[in-house]
Order: sequence, then C-alpha cells, then structure tokens
Amino acid sequence: MQAKSAPTAVPKRNTRAFVSKYKSAIIVMIGCFILAVILAMKAGPSSLFNTLVTGGMWALLAVGLSLVFGVMNVANFAHGESFMVGAFIGYFVFTPISKYLKRSPNEFLSLIAPFLGIIVAALVGLVLGYLLERLLFRPLRGRGKSGWVMNTFLVTVGLSFVMINGTTLLLGPNFRGVPRYWSIPPIEMFGIRIAVERLVAFGLAMLTIFALWLFLQKSRTGRAIRAVSQDETGAQLVGINLNNIYSLTFALSTATAAMAGACLLFMFQAYPTVGLKPLYFAWYVVMLVGLGNIAGAIIGGFIVALLQTATQQFFGISWEDVIPTFIMVLVLIVAPSGIFGSEVKGVQEQ
Amino acid sequence: MTASTTQPQPAAKRSLWDSIVSGLDRIGFTPLGALLILLLAISPYLPVFRQEHYIRWLIMGAFLAAQAVAFDFTAGYINVVNFGFAAIVGLGAYTSAILSNNSPVIIIQTGISPWISMFAGAAVAGLVGLGLGVLTLRLRGIYAAVMAWFVGLALLGLARNLVPITRGPLGMSPEPLFESASNRPYFYVILVMMLVTYITLKLVVKSPVGLAFKAIGQNYEAARASGINPTFYRVLNFTLSCAFAGWLGGFYAHYYGSLTPATVMVTAKTVEVLAIAYIGGRGSLWGGMVVAFPFVLVIEQLRSNMTELPGLQLVLYGALMIVMMIYYPGGIAGIYYSIKAWLQQRRAPKPAVPSAG
Repeated sequence: MQAKSAPTAVPKRNTRAFVSKYKSAIIVMIGCFILAVILAMKAGPSSLFNTLVTGGMWALLAVGLSLVFGVMNVANFAHGESFMVGAFIGYFVFTPISKYLKRSPNEFLSLIAPFLGIIVAALVGLVLGYLLERLLFRPLRGRGKSGWVMNTFLVTVGLSFVMINGTTLLLGPNFRGVPRYWSIPPIEMFGIRIAVERLVAFGLAMLTIFALWLFLQKSRTGRAIRAVSQDETGAQLVGINLNNIYSLTFALSTATAAMAGACLLFMFQAYPTVGLKPLYFAWYVVMLVGLGNIAGAIIGGFIVALLQTATQQFFGISWEDVIPTFIMVLVLIVAPSGIFGSEVKGVQEQ
Repeated sequence: MTASTTQPQPAAKRSLWDSIVSGLDRIGFTPLGALLILLLAISPYLPVFRQEHYIRWLIMGAFLAAQAVAFDFTAGYINVVNFGFAAIVGLGAYTSAILSNNSPVIIIQTGISPWISMFAGAAVAGLVGLGLGVLTLRLRGIYAAVMAWFVGLALLGLARNLVPITRGPLGMSPEPLFESASNRPYFYVILVMMLVTYITLKLVVKSPVGLAFKAIGQNYEAARASGINPTFYRVLNFTLSCAFAGWLGGFYAHYYGSLTPATVMVTAKTVEVLAIAYIGGRGSLWGGMVVAFPFVLVIEQLRSNMTELPGLQLVLYGALMIVMMIYYPGGIAGIYYSIKAWLQQRRAPKPAVPSAG
C-alpha cells in the first residue's frame, strides 16, 4: 500500500524517515544482537553456527512461502509437505546409491550421491508444484477473486492433510533417515568442530537464495514475476501470461522447499509429519517480517533461528516452539504487518 | 430473512401444523430437521444401531457436529477462521479435567463434580476467546487466522510443558461423567449439548446481533461506517464461540477418559472441524450438523473395515474438502438452498417474483 513507488526510490540520506519506518525492525535487530552475544558467551560459538545453519534453512523456506504469497496471494499451508516430499525423495535416491557403494566403493560417486538426492528432490518439487498449481489453484482462479486469500489458504490446509495422510497410507508412519551424508570427519574452524553436512546445507541454502534473487532481479522471466506481484492487470497489459507466471512461481517455491527437505535429511529424517515443524518456523518468519516481503524473509530466518536456539539453551528443547510462538503473538500485536512491513497489495481487505 | 412477523392477520386461522412449523423455525429448525433430530434421539434403541460401537460413533458425530456449529459461528458470520479452535476445545477439556481431578498424579486436587467443572472449562475457554478476539481485532482475514493459529500452538505448547498440572505428553485420565460403562447416557448428554449449542447460536444469529456479525464479515469498513461497533461484535462472537468450544471440550475429557495434547489440541483436529463445517456450508450453522453424522459413520466403517489401509479416511476427508472448496464453496447448505430456490421458482405462479435468498 505505502510501497506504491519502488523501494529503490527512497532517498538514502533521509535517515530519520528510515528510522521511523523500520523502528520495530531496528529494535528487534538490536535485541537479537544482544541475545546472540549472550548465547555465544553462555553456550559457546558452536551454538551460533547451528543458528546460522537452521536460520539459512528457515530463510530458504520462508522465501518460497513469501514469494508465493507475494505473487499469487496464496498463503501456503502445505509448504511443509513439499519439505516432506523432498526428504523422502532424498532418502529414496541416496539410500540405494549408498547400498551400491558398500558393494563397490567409488570415491567420486560417494562424494556426489547426496547432491544427486538433493537435485532430484528439487526437480520432483518443481514438477509437483506445477501439477498442484494446475490442478488446484487454476480452477479456483476461474471462479473469481472474491475471498481468494482465505479460500486458497483453506485449500492448502486440505492439501496438507491429504499429503500427510496419503504418505502415511503409502509408506507407513515409520522414520527413514540417514545418519550422515559423507564419511568425512568434521572440519575444525574458528576452534569449533563443524559437521560437513551442516556446512553444505548452509552453503546450498545461501546459494539457492542468491540464485533466486539473481533470477528475480536480472532475468526476463524473473522481472515478469515481480511485475505480476506488483500489478496483475498492468502485467497482463504488457503481455505477460499470468497462468505461466503463477505455475512457475509455485513450482519454484515447492522446489526450494523440497530441496531444503533433502538437504536436512540427516537432521530431520523422513516421515509423514516431518514438514510440520519447518512449516511452523517458516510461518513465524513470514509473519515476523511481513507477508510477501522476500528480502525481509532472509533476515527473519536467522532471527527466528536465533530465538529457537536461545530457547533450547535457556529453557530446554521442549519449549523450542512455545516461546517463539509467544514472541510472534507479541510481534503481531505490536506490528500486525510485520517488522519490515508487508508489500502485498490489498490483502488486508480480504 | 423470511422470519419476520409483520403480517399477523392469518394468526386466527392458524392450524396446529402451522404453529409447530413456526415454532420450530423460531429456534432454527425445519420440520425435516426436527424429524432427523428425533430419529437421532431414538436411534440408540433402533434394532440396527443398538450396539455400543454404533452409539460411540454417534457420540463422535454429535461431538464433531457441535464443534462445527461453534466453529461456523465465527467462520461463517464474522468471516474470521479461528485456526486455533482445537486448542480452545483442548483448553476447556484440560480445565475441566484438572478441576475435577482428585488423584495425586497432579498437584491440583480440587475434585469438583465433572458436571460443574465442564462449565468452568467453558468459562476459561470463553475468557481466552475474549482475549483472542481482542488480539485479532486489528487483523483481517489471513492475519487473524494465523494469529489464532499461533495462540493455539502456544496453548498446545503449554499443555505439553506444564507437566506438574497437565502431566505433559503422558496425558491425564479425567473422571468419567457416569459410573456405568454404557455409552447411551453419554449420547444423550452430547445430543443435548449439541442442540443447546445450535439453538443458542442460531438465536443469536437470527437476532439483530447476527445481522451485525454478517455486516462485519462482509464489509468491515462499511459496517463501521454505518454505526456498528466492530470491536464489540467481534469480541462477543469470539467469546461465545470459544465458550461453547470449551464446554464441548469438557465433555470430551470426561467421556473418553484420556486426554493428551496430541489427541485434542493439534492443528489436525482444527482441520477436521473446519472440513466438516465447510463441507456442510459456511454461514449456515446447521450444515455441519447434517454432514457430521453420515461422515463419521462412513469414516469409522472405512477405518474398521480397511485396517490394512490406515489413514485412508483422512485422505478422503481432505480430498472432499478440497473438491468442495474449489467446485462448490456453498457446501451442502448451498446445495439445499439452491434446490429450495429452484422449487419455489417452479411453484410460484408468476415468474416476476424475485426469490429472496
């Protein structure tokens, strides 16, 4: 609403306006910085590194969630199920390869096997997202725009229900996991031991977010996506095919979530309800920074992960999602459209 | 709204049937609906249903139906989806279970009769509903739903973590309402509770308050501009809906005799109620009641006959809800109303009369 003009048009010298616009964001950031320092002093720097890893993943998930909300105005409750699908695909690709490797060791293959799983998971996510968009949202869009945000939200709620229980039906409720991807010993860095899996997960998350950003900023299709998120009618007038943009956006979002699922297989394992926790945290992130705010989602991912790690440290692991929830409720009271502000047009009215 | 009583002239010639129909209409029933309720009430004595497991299913149906009514009161009228509904139900259940507890497993041993503690559960849930209403005041649509969801998750987390008073994930075993193991008395209790929920909420909805709810739900700004105080009505709606949810939760606790956070308060339970309410038709209140019973019967049949396919019934649940949302958003109630309108149009002698929906 207030972001009618492009964000770049705001003059940089106007610090006072900047401060007043992002007052709550600045307060939250300072609070987080203090929290991070306390955490590092009390629990050691390795906890900060773990925060970075989970933060990267929440950021990746939240970016997908935010992208879909910004472009399609769909509040995706089934985002965690894409994560779940990715975890399963990662498992079913990686396990046969590692079994084969036990019979005939092959250094190169054992190095790239996890990446194969992650890539296949992302591709499957791409196809899944395309199909879901075609089967669910396109027919719904044909019915008109009234109540769209709520209707699509409820459809994704139903979808999440179907996918969780469908997976239980097909594969059973058991856990499938791999303890680790590589048999390489942890790396010593800054005096802390870091598992290779975590390092790779963090690197991949950052790389994907960067690639997504590059795609949205520089490529023609990416510009079309941003155009649709700013003004649908205008985008249509200049000849952008809305249906294609919607399919692509949703597919990209599910692909990133599926990738995250495969990346974190060693941490989360694969089981039907594995997507719930990532879903909660991704939603915390997008509500914290404002729905549809993609750049904010990256910072928000780390803030939420910091809260999560701090809660684990100070209250114990069972409070992990309780305290962040309370804080999110407080945030929603103080800043209903997030600390960075929502950039989505007309959603408040629906 | 055809229930207005502006034309009193045919009152003198009113037959018994007419007065029954108008009396039923006043409390929100059609003759067909009343007949179905009557059938339901005697069904535990009918030959086919005279088995304990059928009665248990009927109880589940009534419990779900009553929840759907309370849920639809918020979702269908002020247009805010209370996504933390199951947590509110669980809050009522836990409050009632804790207050009626007299075993030393938890630190509170007040030991009040479950019949009274159920109402205490309703009061606490209503209070939280009031708070939830205030919290979501500034929020619309998806923001309000997510806020309610977060509050629900917070309540779930509390139930899981306040081990000294809830026993955490281990769960509690609340006092039963009746000494006997038979399900029949429970069935009549939940049937009465369902009817009380429905009739109370229907009366509210039919009153001017209900019009205010609809006005807020359809266009918040326009409603405020025309002199409706949205704050008051939204909070009132949340309080009532949550109070009934908590009351029903109390029944759940004292009927099943086991209460864990994972079986009552999780989001999946909200989705079940939501699915029933939406398949029934939002904004109708009775749609959920009509759908709940056949649904529970079919689903429980599936569950007991297809044990090799666990969770099939839940997949059908979600799939039906998706299909309904996409292709027939009015739900069963919408289908009923359009059939009724069609019949009226056919019966009407002059096609010029516009049918009021």
